[in-house]
Formats: sequence, structure tokens, C-alpha cells
Amino acid sequence: MSARESPALVSPIAAARGVDKVYADEAGRNRVILKHVDFEVRENEVVAVLGPSGCGKSTLLRILIGLIPPSAGTVEQHGKPLEGIHPGAAVVFQNFALFPWLSVSDNVRVGLNDRPLPAGDAEARVKAVLAAVGLSGHERDYPKELSGGMKQRVGIARALVGRPELLCMDEPFSALDVLTAELLRTEVYRLFTERTSGLSSVLLITHLIEEAVFLGDRIVVLGANPGTVRREIVNTVPHPREYRSPAFLQMVELIHDVVTGVHLPDSPSAPAATVPGRRLAGPVSPLPAVRIGEILGLLEILADQGGTMNLFDIDALTDYDFGRTIAVAKAAEMLDFVDTPKNDVVLTESGRRMVKASTAERPALLRTEVLKLGVFCLVIRELAKDPDVPLAGDAVRDLLAEHLPTVDASELFGTLINWGRAGQLFDFESASDALALYSGREEEAGG
Amino acid sequence: MSRSGKGRVSGLAVDVALFVVLGALVASVVGLAQRWEAPIRQAVEIDLSPSALPLYTLLSLSRGFAAYLLSLAFTLVYGTIAAHGKRAEKVMLPLLDIGQGIPVLGFLPGLVLGMVALFPRTNVGLELACIIMIFTGQVWNMTFSYIGSLRSIPEELHEVARIHRFSFWKRFRIVEVSSSVIGLVWNSMMSMAGGWFFLTVNEAFTLGDRDFRLPGIGSYMAVAIEKGDSRAMAWAIFAMIVMIVACDQLLWRPLVAWSQRFRNADVEGEAAPESWVLNLVRRSAFLRRLRLRRRRRHGAAAPSPVSPPALAETGADTRSARVRTGILVAFGLAALAGALLGAWKLVGLLARVPSGEWVVLVSALGATFLRTLAALALATAWTLPIGILVGRSAVWSRRLQPVVQIVASFPAPMLFPIVTGVLLALRVPFGAIAAVLMFLGAQWYVLFNVLAGASAIPHDLDEAADVYAMKGTARWRKLFVPAVFPFLVTGLVTAAGGAWNASIVAETLTWRGRTLETFGLGSLITKATRDANFPLLTAGVLTMSLALVLLNRLVWRRLYRLAETKYSLNR
Repeated sequence: MSARESPALVSPIAAARGVDKVYADEAGRNRVILKHVDFEVRENEVVAVLGPSGCGKSTLLRILIGLIPPSAGTVEQHGKPLEGIHPGAAVVFQNFALFPWLSVSDNVRVGLNDRPLPAGDAEARVKAVLAAVGLSGHERDYPKELSGGMKQRVGIARALVGRPELLCMDEPFSALDVLTAELLRTEVYRLFTERTSGLSSVLLITHLIEEAVFLGDRIVVLGANPGTVRREIVNTVPHPREYRSPAFLQMVELIHDVVTGVHLPDSPSAPAATVPGRRLAGPVSPLPAVRIGEILGLLEILADQGGTMNLFDIDALTDYDFGRTIAVAKAAEMLDFVDTPKNDVVLTESGRRMVKASTAERPALLRTEVLKLGVFCLVIRELAKDPDVPLAGDAVRDLLAEHLPTVDASELFGTLINWGRAGQLFDFESASDALALYSGREEEAGG
Repeated sequence: MSRSGKGRVSGLAVDVALFVVLGALVASVVGLAQRWEAPIRQAVEIDLSPSALPLYTLLSLSRGFAAYLLSLAFTLVYGTIAAHGKRAEKVMLPLLDIGQGIPVLGFLPGLVLGMVALFPRTNVGLELACIIMIFTGQVWNMTFSYIGSLRSIPEELHEVARIHRFSFWKRFRIVEVSSSVIGLVWNSMMSMAGGWFFLTVNEAFTLGDRDFRLPGIGSYMAVAIEKGDSRAMAWAIFAMIVMIVACDQLLWRPLVAWSQRFRNADVEGEAAPESWVLNLVRRSAFLRRLRLRRRRRHGAAAPSPVSPPALAETGADTRSARVRTGILVAFGLAALAGALLGAWKLVGLLARVPSGEWVVLVSALGATFLRTLAALALATAWTLPIGILVGRSAVWSRRLQPVVQIVASFPAPMLFPIVTGVLLALRVPFGAIAAVLMFLGAQWYVLFNVLAGASAIPHDLDEAADVYAMKGTARWRKLFVPAVFPFLVTGLVTAAGGAWNASIVAETLTWRGRTLETFGLGSLITKATRDANFPLLTAGVLTMSLALVLLNRLVWRRLYRLAETKYSLNR
């Protein structure tokens, strides 16, 4: 059923054409969330949008159905410009978004949009849809009496009762525990494949590769900072889908590679700068939002496993989602502690040294690597202009936003502080938001 | 079988009781309306016999409820407008902040004169003036609470309302009011208590040579104090307590218990508030039948009228947006014109204040400021240790909370004569007594907040203090006091506002025929009212408002920030 030919002549149910989204944060700095996104949902398909957190997937969903306007570009429904809210759309929210003071059946009734229906018909539809999601007998319950999984069933029932042509699901299972999520995912899969609910198309937002492969007919991989469409893959895994089937595993592998390629490109790594006193700074590029502790943790794991590990094996060892594992690996690579040929992560010489070093020696090792990064040189140059006067954190955030407009400056600043303090480059006082060059005298007892 | 039979009997009894209460309500409303139509008498003779008290109490209660309905209406309208217009909010929130701080009692003379002029032949003007004064004591925290609730509605709920095309009313009902019910009910309870504070003044006061009086428990107390009739004072206090307890048990407890169904999160563990009255009403056979019928009708709803197609809707949207902007602009212009006119009048009035008076005003401000500080210090001195001790114990705080609430609802000015009598006998100068009187009303705000703070101290911090053998003063210094600090600041801010306002009734007191007075801004304002010296009155009120706003900006804001950054347990 994935091989439905969608006639090219029929215009898509919803489409974004060249859409940008720019937000201003509290300090008035502009941040680019989405950049030139072309995307469409066609009739009779399940599109899964896959991307790490913060890549603007949810924003894209909201723009597509008219909840928020794009900063640039156009949004269409059935080939016409979208005005107001998409008339055929319904949404299942990550955190359910039920009204706590309405009973289950009243919550579901909300999905009927006060449509004029023959007497008794509304009641019958609510009953039928509640039966379909396995909530018969719970009509009079209130959401707070239900478990998370049952709450999301109500959310799904509310979305389905109006027989939407476009069902949007915004990370629908990620607020649930693993087992409940798996059960619900399987039931939703059945709903999709049986198409008994008048459903035409589904837009699924997810950060889990397996989920995208399990449910999607087409998988769109988004990259972050700013969010752009990186790849589109037609999911050829035949129905019924099984997690352990070779075709399924192959597809997961393929998408793993795509995601890794997007986030960890195999560029020749810059030669390590060893000339003492000379700082070889690369271009100013953003840092993955990863703490030094996580990077060191990765190095320890690698050292334990003989220095080389497959990215997916690391992912399986941690309770991170795949995007986060990649971010940690990428951060370690930026610091020259690892190399990442293909899907492997390999400890480098300086990585080995770092693992062996004592706690007292580590800051110096880290400092050498950190100083090779352009973004640190940028900030240090600014601080060195007047070494006695600390810089306001806001000034630094502005500086970062100016050089890297697509990045969340506050988040980047947080990462910068974390790495810089670990390398004893900076002093930072959060109460006064003041950043200064490290002033502590060399009092490392062991070194 | 027998159980259901018994249930039916008691259900019937409840029905009878309900009808009796309803009938009494209708009868009293009719009676009150007749009174309002009574020809104006500036000084009603207040009958000091206890038998007159039930009627007086009922009259005061009806004023309180009329003011409350006004507050509720104001809150819903003001809050909705403020929350819907991002630009309107920028003006409306600070306006509310200022309104809360202004010593409203200073406006009483102008209001009364204006209202009496509007309704020269009947008592309506005086009644309205009194109701509006009570309203100004009630409305602020309700409106703040409502706006706060509206702002904390999760964005997804708004999105659901938009996706499923809620009408304005449907959104108002299901999203906005429903999200705010818990906060509104709670603050309504506080507001009713706050509204009684100035009752003795609102119902009976003199302006120049004119004596305005309305029959009510406040004026009863005022006359009793004037005559030094301690038996009548005791009766009035008793009647007030009965009224407060009755309101609490028959109205607020049931409402608080009922409002729990609007609770958002599933915060269990905390015992849900219960009310014996609500439990009774829930057992009412009549109401149950009514509910059932409604549900059945709801089930077989007739088809609603055809909704307009989506395109027309968006057209209407932009049109209504244009209309809304138009209305806002018109309102803005009217407000601006009013403000200009007011400013012009104000300058004219203030110009008539001799420059020597300004010096007196500023030194009076200083005196009252010192008294406020003393009142806050007194309040902190006992509420901080007691509040922490009680708040640490879940059992005690649950037991004491309703009692404290009722005690706190009691209008402190009614106790002023007794406290003054005792302290005078101890040869305390009246200047210091005034500070104690200001403290009487202000202490509860501090206590409530410290209690809340103490019960919010995480258990593991307590355990850590145990493990590291943190004992006695160290535990207080390092754990308890810092942990409740943010709550203490909140309590102090509110208490300070209350103390400033209370100075108007605390710095002057008529006691057994003689007038006690101490130098301060409050007594200056009271004197200006008595002498009908409007320029001085205006200058006094203005000075106090300015001082309050400045203190807020310069002192309290900073303390808030310190509390939020350094002493917050949420980060």
C-alpha cells in the first residue's frame, strides 16, 4: 500500500513553498528556525518528518496548518493559498492537550467543530470513535483519572472524530513510557493501514528513526540550525511491518546513514595544531549543545571498548535518542578527541591522552583543543580587548548571534561557558552575568 | 434497599432546606431594594440594641456581595481584554498595579459627593458609593489572579480551540474561565475578606459638617466606638464573626471544594478540600434529577444552525479585528481626554496647597513610613518562626489553616478600639499604638506566605540537614529562612501596601468621645477629609501613591529579583 501512485495532477493537501521562519528571542535577537523549506503532504500517504529536537519540525507542522504564519514563502491547501486554519486538519499533541474539566466524551466532541449534525449522530460518532481507540466505557471519566496512554487515546479520538483529511501527529508517543508507546504505536499503525476512519493523509513528527520507518510511507529528514529538508526517502518496507524483518532493518540502517551524513559529514579533519603558542583557529562554527561531562563519558566508553565503536552500538548503550548520540560524537570530533569515519567512532591520540590524564591535568589538555575552535577565539579576542573588565553575558550572546544567526545564542553561550570553564579559560558569575578570562592562579595541587 | 430509602429521606430534607434558603434570599433582596428607595437621610440613627444587629449584618453582607459581583464582572471584562490584546496588556497591567497601591480611602469623599449629587433624592447614591469603596478593596487580587491564569494556559489548548473553531463564547467558557476557576474562587474568598477591612469607615464617615451614615454592621461599630459602648462593640464583633464563619462554611468552602474539578494536574497526595455543605447539596434528590435531565437533553441536541463557510469566517475575523481596533482607539482617546482633564483639575487643586504644607506632608510621609517598617518588623518577628514551625508540620498546617483564614478575614479596624484601650492602659504612646494597629491587619499576609513557603521546603533538604547534623540556629539560618525568603518577600510586599492604607484609619481614632491622633500621612489624610480640605486631601493621597510606587520600584522589585535568583528552590 506504500506504492500508491499519487497522481501528479492532484494538488497536495497541504504544502509549504520556500518557507522561512524567524523568531526573535527575549533579547530581541533574531533566530532562523526554518530556512527555505519546500514540503508537501499528498493524498493518501503517511509522511514522517524526522529530525533532532530543535530543528523546527513542530514549527513546520504549525505553519502547514495555519496555526502560525511563515516569515517568508507561501503555504497552500489543495493548490490554493491557505487562509486561517487548514479546514481539514486535526492535531494529536505531544502532551495530549485535553481539557481537564471536560469528560472524555465532551473532550472528543470538541473535535466535531460544532458541526451541524442530525440528532443523535454526534453521539453515535463519539461512541464509535471511542470504541475504535479502545476507550468504550470511559465516556464519563475525566482526563485526570486516565493514564498517559489512555489520555493520548482520547487525543487521537478527538482528532479522528471529525474525519480529517489531514491528521497531524506531533511526537504523539514521546510523552509516554516505552511499553505504552509501543502498544499505542502498533494500534495507530493498524488505524493507518485499515483506513476505516475516513482518514486520507497523516503527517507524523518524530525524532525516532524506527518510528518513522514503522509508520511512514515517505520519510523527510530535517537538518537543524536552521531547519532545512535534507533528504526525502520513499519507505519501501512492505506491510505488515515487523521491526526484526531484514527489509525493516535495512531501511533503518539507510536512514541512520542519512542522518549521520547530515550531522557528521566525513570531511577530512583539520590537521591538529601542535605548534606551541600558535593558535590555529578554524571558522566560527556553532558548538553542539553538549556538556563536557558527556564528551568525557563517551571517551571513557570508547577506551573501555578498545578505542573503536559503531555509532549505533554507542547509541544502544546510552538512553539517548540517536540525534543526541550524534551530537556528542560530533562535539568530541570537534575537539579532536575522536574521528568518525563512516558510522564508526575512533579514539584519537589526544583522546587517549585525555582518558589517561588525571582530573587535575584535564583542564590543560582540554584548553589546547578548545582554543582551536573559532568561536572561542572570537570570544577570547573580545575579552582580551580589556582583560580587567568582565563582559556582560548579553554582550557575548549578541556577538554570537551576530556571527551565527541560525543558532540559539543563549544555548550556544551555555555550551561555551561549560566548555570554557572546564578548560579554565573563563570565569563566569551567573548572578551578575559577567564573563571574564580565567583568573585563578595555577593552584592545581597535582599538576 | 434501606440505605437508598434513607438516602431519599435525607435528600428530601436537603431539598426543603435549599428551598427555605432560596426563599429567604428572595425575601431579603426584595426588602433591601425597598430600603434603597428610602428617602435620603444623611445621618441615620443607628440602633445599638443587639436585636437590630441581624438586619444590619444582612445589609452589610448584601453590600459586600453587590461589590463582589461588580468585582467579578470587572475582572472578567478587564482580564479578557488585557489578555487578548498584547498592546492593551502593556498599559493595563501597570494600571492595575497602581490601582492596587493607591490608598482608595482617599477617594471616598469625592465619590460620595459625586454619587449623592447624582441621586439627590434617594439613598442610592450613598449605597453605590459604599459598594464602590468595598469593590476597590476586593477587585485587585481577583483581576491579577485571572490575568495570571489566562497567561499560564498552555499554548496547545489555545491551538486546540483554533483548530476546532471555537466561537468567542465557547473559548471564553471552556478555555479561559475554566482554566481560571480555582484561582478565581480562592481569590474571591480573600477579596471578600479584604472588602470588609474599611467597612467601619465606608458605612459611616463625616465630611466637613456633613455626616454620612448607612445602616449596617460597620456603622453600628462606628457609633459604638464613638460612644464608648463596649457591650455594643462586643456584639458587633460577635455578629461579624458569625457572618464570616457563615460565609466561609456556606459559600466559600463549598465553592473551593467544587472548584477542584478544574484542577489541571493530577496532584494527588494532598488531601482534596472538602465541604460538608457541598456534600449535602450533592445528595439533594431534586438537583440530581435536574442534572440528569440536562444531560439527557444535552445528548439529543438539536442540530445547531449552519455554520458559515470558512472563507466568510476569515472575512468576519478581519472585520471584527478592525472593529476591535476601532473600539480600542476610541477607548484610548476617551481615556486620554479624561486623563488630560483630570491632570488639569489636579494641577489646579494642588496649586492651592500652600508650600509650607508640602514640607509637613513629606515629614508626615516619613513618620508613616517608619510606622510601616515597625508594623512589618512586628509581623515578621512572630510569623516567621511560628509560620515555619506550623508549616513544617503537615498535620498542624492542615488543622490550623481554616482557623487562620477566618481570623484573618476579620476586619482589623473593628479591633482597633479594644487594642488601643489595652495599650493606653499600659501607657504606650498613641504614636506607637498606631503602628501596632497597622500591624494587626498586615500580619496575615506575611503569615500566609510564610506558611506556604515552609510547607514547600523539599523533604530531601530537610533530610540532608539531618544527615549533616545541622542543628538549632544553623538549620534555621541555612535552610528554613533562606527557603521561605521568596515567600516572605511576597508577603511583605502585600503587607506593606495594606499597612500604608491602614494608616488612614489607624493614625486617628475616636475613642470614648475624644479624638486620638498622631502625626503621620494617614492622620493628615483623615483630617483633610474631616475638614473637607480637598487640595490637602488630594496632595496627601498623591504623596502616598507616589511613595508606594517608588518603594515598589526601588525596594520590592530588587528584593523580588534577589528572591527569584538566589533563594528560589525551583532552579
